Amino acid sequence: MKRRNFIKTSSLASAGTISMPYILPSGLINMTTTAPMSEYVVFVLFAGGVRQQEAVLQRYLAEGQNENVEGNIMYNMLTGAPPDDKIAYGLDDTANNIIGGIPIDPILQTPLDQIGTLFPEVRFSKGGAGHFTGLSTGVSGNYSTTQGLKSRPSAPTIFEYLRRHAGFKATDCWFVGVGITGSRPLLNFSANEDYGRRYGGNFIAPTTTFGSPGMQHFMNFKNYHPDTEWTKILEMRDFLNQNFRNEGLEISHLYNDVEEEDSIKEFVKATFEKVNSGSLTLPPVNDNGDLKTIGYAVELLNWFKPKLTVVDMSNIDVCHGNYTAYLKNLHRGDHGIGFLWREIQRIPEMAGKTTLIVMPEHGRDLEPNPIMDDNDWFAYDHSGGNENTRRIFSLMAGPGIQAGLRVGGVNNPIGDASDIVPTIADLFGVKDTVINKGLLDPTARSLFDRI
Amino acid sequence: MNMQTSGRTAIKLLGLIGIMLFVSCEKEYYVYGINDVEITPVNSFKDKPKTHSQYISILYANMFQKAIGPNQMLQALKAIESIGDKQVAYDILVSKYMNDPDVKLPSNESMRSDPEEFVRDTYKRFLVRQPTEAELQWMINYIESRPSLTTELVYFSFATSNEHAHY
Repeated sequence: MKRRNFIKTSSLASAGTISMPYILPSGLINMTTTAPMSEYVVFVLFAGGVRQQEAVLQRYLAEGQNENVEGNIMYNMLTGAPPDDKIAYGLDDTANNIIGGIPIDPILQTPLDQIGTLFPEVRFSKGGAGHFTGLSTGVSGNYSTTQGLKSRPSAPTIFEYLRRHAGFKATDCWFVGVGITGSRPLLNFSANEDYGRRYGGNFIAPTTTFGSPGMQHFMNFKNYHPDTEWTKILEMRDFLNQNFRNEGLEISHLYNDVEEEDSIKEFVKATFEKVNSGSLTLPPVNDNGDLKTIGYAVELLNWFKPKLTVVDMSNIDVCHGNYTAYLKNLHRGDHGIGFLWREIQRIPEMAGKTTLIVMPEHGRDLEPNPIMDDNDWFAYDHSGGNENTRRIFSLMAGPGIQAGLRVGGVNNPIGDASDIVPTIADLFGVKDTVINKGLLDPTARSLFDRI
Repeated sequence: MNMQTSGRTAIKLLGLIGIMLFVSCEKEYYVYGINDVEITPVNSFKDKPKTHSQYISILYANMFQKAIGPNQMLQALKAIESIGDKQVAYDILVSKYMNDPDVKLPSNESMRSDPEEFVRDTYKRFLVRQPTEAELQWMINYIESRPSLTTELVYFSFATSNEHAHY
C-alpha cells in the first residue's frame, strides 16, 4: 500500500513537472529539466569491495568461514540484530585481551534502510570487479570496460553533467577521495571531448592534503592581503598568461572563479588549524583512513555546502589478506555512514534537504583465497569472472524517498551499478537531458524508475 | 702566304670577340622575393606542460637555489596530486615556500634601483628567456608605478604563471 502511494505521488509529481519547465540556477530554461527533488546529494562509494554475505545478507561468519554465527554488523545502515558470538569486528577489549571484542555503539536510532529505500540485490553487471572500474562506473554511469587504468573515464562524470546542464559551480561538485592511489585524482572529470575539465568537479584527498605531504608542503602557507597583495599578483599573472591563454595552454585548473579559489584556500588553511588544534569533526571512532576521510568530508560539507559530494572509502579491501580486519573495517564503514548522516542533519542548510546514496563499487568472491588470519579465518579477493563480485546493494535516504521500502531481493535483482548517475541527475531535475546524451551504459536507469 | 694566314686568324678573332660581346651584352633579369615566415610569440615553442615533478623541481630550484631532495619531492608531489585544481595547488605550494626563511629573493631595493635588470633576470630565471620590449616596458612601468610592490609578489606571479608550467 505504501509503495502504491509512493508511485502515485511520484507519478503526479512527474506529470506536474513535464509541463513546468524549471529555471536553472544559470538562468537558462531547459525544457527537459524538471524541478529538483533534492537540494543536496552525498554519494558514498562504499568501501573497497563488499561481500553481500557479510553486508545485506547479514551472515557474518556463517557463509564466509563456515561457522554458525550470523548477524548484522552494519546496524546504522541495515535493520537486524548483531551477532551474539565470536565478536571480532569492534574495538579491542584490552581488559580481556579480545581483539575487536567490543562492538561500536550505533550512531543512528533508526537504521538508514528504515529512513530510506534499500535495493538489496543490485548488479555490477559488466567488466571485471576492479576498484577503478567500480569507482569510474559509479561516477560516470558507464562501465567503460575497454578503458585502462591511469586514464580518465571515457564517459562524462556526473560532475560534468551537472556543471554543464544544471548550471552548477565548480565548488558545488566535489570528489573526496580516500587517497591519491588507484587513479582516484582522475575521477573528477572525463576525457570526453564535449565535457572534460571545463565542467570538472573539484577533487581533494584530505588524508594526503592534511597528512604528512600537506603538512610539509602546504601547511602554514602565506595569506596574501586580497587588496594590497593578491590583486597585484593577479594583475601580473594575467599579463604573463596572455599568450598562453590565447593558445589554450593553461595550468590544469577547474574553472573555479576567483572567489571559489579563495574559498578553497581558506578551507585548507582553516582545516589545518583544526588538525593542529585537534578540533576536527571526526566520527567517535576514527582509527582508519576511511573514517578520517568521512570526518574531512563533513568539514568540507560544512564549509562549501556542495550540491554534490562523492566520497569513496577503501579500507574494506584489506580482505585480500585479513578477514578479521575486513569485518572491523566493514563495521567502521557503517559507523562512518551513520556519522555522516547525523552530521548532515546538523548542517542547517543541508538538514532535511540532502539525499544520501550508498553503494559498494563492487562485491567480492564467493570462495576464499588460501590466506588465513589470526582467527584462522580465510581472506577473500575480488576476481574477474566471479559472479559474487557482481552482487552489490544501493541504499538511498532523503527528502521524498520512501521510508522502509525494499526493492528487489535475492531472487529478484533490481538495479545496476550504473544507475547512480541517472538517479542523481533525476534528483537534480536533469535526468532526461543526461540520458538523451546517450553516453550512459544502456542498462543505466534512475533508481526512481526502477521502483 | 703569311699575310693570308694572319688575315684569316684576325677574322676568326674578330668573330669570336663579336660573339663574346653579343653574349655578354644579353640582359639578365633577377627576381627578388621573400620567403614566408610564420610570426609567433617568443614563448611559442613551449607547448608541452611540465609534469608535476618537473614543475616542483624547477620551482624549488628557482626559489631556494638548490635541488629538492628525493623525499621532499615525493611528498610535494603527493600534496599536489591531492588537490584537483592545480592552479590552487600551485598557489598554495608557492605561498608555502614564500613563508620559508630559506627562500632566496632579491631585495626590494635592488628591484627599485634597476628595474630593467630585475625584470630581465626574473624572466630568465622563471621563463628561461628574455622579455620582449613590450613585456619589459609593461613590467618596468608596473614596478615603478606601484611603490608597495615587492619582489616576492613578482616572483609569485611568475612562479604560478602558465608559461612557467610549460616547456
